[in-house]
Amino acid sequence: MIDLKELILPKDNLIPLLRKLNKDARLVIPVKNDHGDTLFTEISDLDTTEIDLINQPQASLKPFFLPQQETLAHYSINSNQYCFTAPDAAIDTIFFGVRSCDLTALLYMDLIFSKPSKDATYYDRRNHSLIITLGCNNPFENCFCEATNSGPYLEYGYGLQFIDLGDRYYVSAGRGRGADLLERWSYFFHEVGEEDHKVRYQLFLEARGQFSRNIQLTHACQKLQKETVPDEIWQSLAERCYDCGGCAYVCPTCTCFSVDDKPQSSNTGIRVRSWDACTSDGFTRMAGGHNPVTRDRQALKRRFLHKLKYDFASHGKASCTGCGRCVDICFGGVDITTFIELFTRQQNP
Amino acid sequence: MTNSIAELEEADVLLITGSNTTTTHPQIGRNILKAVDHGAKLLVIDPRRTDIARQAHIHLALRPGTDIALINAMMRIILDENLADDLFISMRTENFIQLRDFLHRLDLKELAKITEIDLETIRKAACIYARSSKSVICYCLGVTQHTCGTDNVQAVANLAMLTGNVEKKHSGVDPLRGQNNVQGACDMAALPAVLPGYQSLEDPTVRARFQSVWQRELPRKTGRSLTEMTHAGKDGPIKAMFIMGENPALSDPHLNRVEETLINLDFLAVSDIFLTETAQFANVVFPAASFAEKGGTITNSERRVQLCRRAIPPIHNCRPDSEIIMELGHRMGCPGMDFNSDAEIMEEISLLAPIYGGMHYDRLAENHGLQWPCPDRHHPGTEFLHKYYFARGKGQFTITRHQEPSEKATKKFPFTLVTGRGSYHHYHTATMTRNSIRLVREYPQAKLEIHKDDCEKLNIGDGEMVELHSKRGTVQICAQVTDRVKPGTVFSSFHFFEVPINQLTVDVMDPKSKCPEFKVCAVAIKKVHHD
Repeated sequence: MIDLKELILPKDNLIPLLRKLNKDARLVIPVKNDHGDTLFTEISDLDTTEIDLINQPQASLKPFFLPQQETLAHYSINSNQYCFTAPDAAIDTIFFGVRSCDLTALLYMDLIFSKPSKDATYYDRRNHSLIITLGCNNPFENCFCEATNSGPYLEYGYGLQFIDLGDRYYVSAGRGRGADLLERWSYFFHEVGEEDHKVRYQLFLEARGQFSRNIQLTHACQKLQKETVPDEIWQSLAERCYDCGGCAYVCPTCTCFSVDDKPQSSNTGIRVRSWDACTSDGFTRMAGGHNPVTRDRQALKRRFLHKLKYDFASHGKASCTGCGRCVDICFGGVDITTFIELFTRQQNP
Repeated sequence: MTNSIAELEEADVLLITGSNTTTTHPQIGRNILKAVDHGAKLLVIDPRRTDIARQAHIHLALRPGTDIALINAMMRIILDENLADDLFISMRTENFIQLRDFLHRLDLKELAKITEIDLETIRKAACIYARSSKSVICYCLGVTQHTCGTDNVQAVANLAMLTGNVEKKHSGVDPLRGQNNVQGACDMAALPAVLPGYQSLEDPTVRARFQSVWQRELPRKTGRSLTEMTHAGKDGPIKAMFIMGENPALSDPHLNRVEETLINLDFLAVSDIFLTETAQFANVVFPAASFAEKGGTITNSERRVQLCRRAIPPIHNCRPDSEIIMELGHRMGCPGMDFNSDAEIMEEISLLAPIYGGMHYDRLAENHGLQWPCPDRHHPGTEFLHKYYFARGKGQFTITRHQEPSEKATKKFPFTLVTGRGSYHHYHTATMTRNSIRLVREYPQAKLEIHKDDCEKLNIGDGEMVELHSKRGTVQICAQVTDRVKPGTVFSSFHFFEVPINQLTVDVMDPKSKCPEFKVCAVAIKKVHHD
């Protein structure tokens, strides 16, 4: 009897395995498109699609679970009564090639959308999903997942975790459906040998040494529990913030949204949920025009403190997963790493 | 731009004048901020303390309309400090002696007084700019929208040539173009005096070539500029207009005059994606396809011709502008209006405009397009202009003298109104951006930036409505108490049709460029009392 928790998949067997998985579920994998962008894409034909497991997908998994814009319900008004119909149910989806940071972000979103009651559309999609991650042997330029304890390899949370050992993958199964898959398709795999263990361990050590950025995230989180951030830091960040919301949109853990009703005819319409950003002026402005959060200091403050101070206090972990996307997107160069660097460098008065 | 956008990041000194770059050109603003992070010095000339001015090492907050006095002072200081690039001047320029003699006769204290900037600050800025050999000047409409706009640009060019900051990588003079394809429109001769590729309408060889391709006699006379057309008034010489993707009924100065002109036309056709203020005057409106519904190219500030692919088919009966023009041309009996594809149109452009000579669609599809001049199929495109020689041969120094704006603040109209783009969220007359719920939420109404001292004097609180008068009109607008403007100066945008700020602006133009003086007019402010 072989151990089904950890197995080796020869690379030649990857496509045949994915083809089998595709029979019962939609497959979403990073693909490099014609414009050179790598994005999570639904696969229609495994043979003609260029799967890209080298580059970081530009967007996280967030759009698949919390779409940029989604219809929460259709409504109609009949004799002054609103009738709501739920949108179509989610379909079974297997995500392959997901990086550790993005899965960690999804686990955080699970928490957010479970309170006060489970968010119906989010959990519908989530319950129909299986995530297969790929450990990062070569962290990307702006990444710092080691500082956020969300990579480069994972210890839990995944359906399956793949580690690239060169000509083969070291596959670990998480709880639930991941292990079931290994059992069902066990003939594609073989047992883990002593050598495989050693190579995996070595790659893990090397990956950890490859981060080009040293972000003192935990130190910042701890310091934030005891100290307030000087106004000058907020001021200097706010002055360079374009107020574009880009950081929140690419962030895999930013879940601010707005809900609008959009009439489609005189008595029907849709209720739409779309991404929003707590850094936006209109997000906190009240009907009378007063805004408790002023743009000149507090907009960024709210976002950074939420991630690093309050979430750390309530969950023991910051809600930044170190994916580095906001570093790349920020026009003003005032992303979360800039804040951490400014704050941790600052001495006590 | 003589430079490429990416070069800005490597520059040592960036002189930004008349540009609120982080708001109006966010991508270029990003490059500038990166340069600053790499240690570059940032100098900003702007009457307002804009976001980019706040990042500056030196902010030269001049009195509106005194750019020439400031640049002349900087050049005089550069001469006095012996920082001029003598080799560049002797090899690559002409007319320097005249400029030098002129500058030597200027009184620096007097110039500083005109600009209302401390002379020591000007001196520091001049030395920082001149001491580096990687100095870039970026300018925008704050320089050009004056009655002396052309001279302002000439002054900027003088400054760059005086210090040899032109002909090489990481140094140059960069006008930042205001609209995504305004560069392409100019390249294609949406200008009164030239044919595509800036070729002279008067050159017989050029004329012959165009006539043989277009099968038509070309007009001999230079056309009219925009403001001349929209401000001709009731009895103007133009009887019919076809306006595409432009909204002069909100964007041009002295709007009452524009309205008078448009109403009195015999025929007006407008092509736009939404029913704009201008389209509401039209006899015929063509619903045009948006950027996502058509192919074609867009040429950006760095002269890069970029290919756009159609994302979705046109919705309902909309048609791309090119199709509208072709169909009109066809029905009006114009030959050659039968292009089967955008690529075929580009082939004709390549044939007729030498700077686009090598820009074929198959090449543009790679590497994010090509930068002109690109004369043939094998040319890699041009990263920066004026290497080895200027377009006219040697760079010519031309003396520019300070002149006061056309309208001065008076007792009756004691404030100077500056107009421009107010926000990152709205674009020009907001015909597109005000159709986005989120953008409207972020910037819902027009605001008048007014200094807190002035507010105290006039007893105006933040968010209160005020009435703004000039000799030409009146608007009501919401006051925003701020320190972005200096006392005596106020600022507003032209995004909102409910607050048509251009009813106030002057239609006096620069005599050469015919660009109106949007940046200076005299206004009075009155608090609105609700009974």
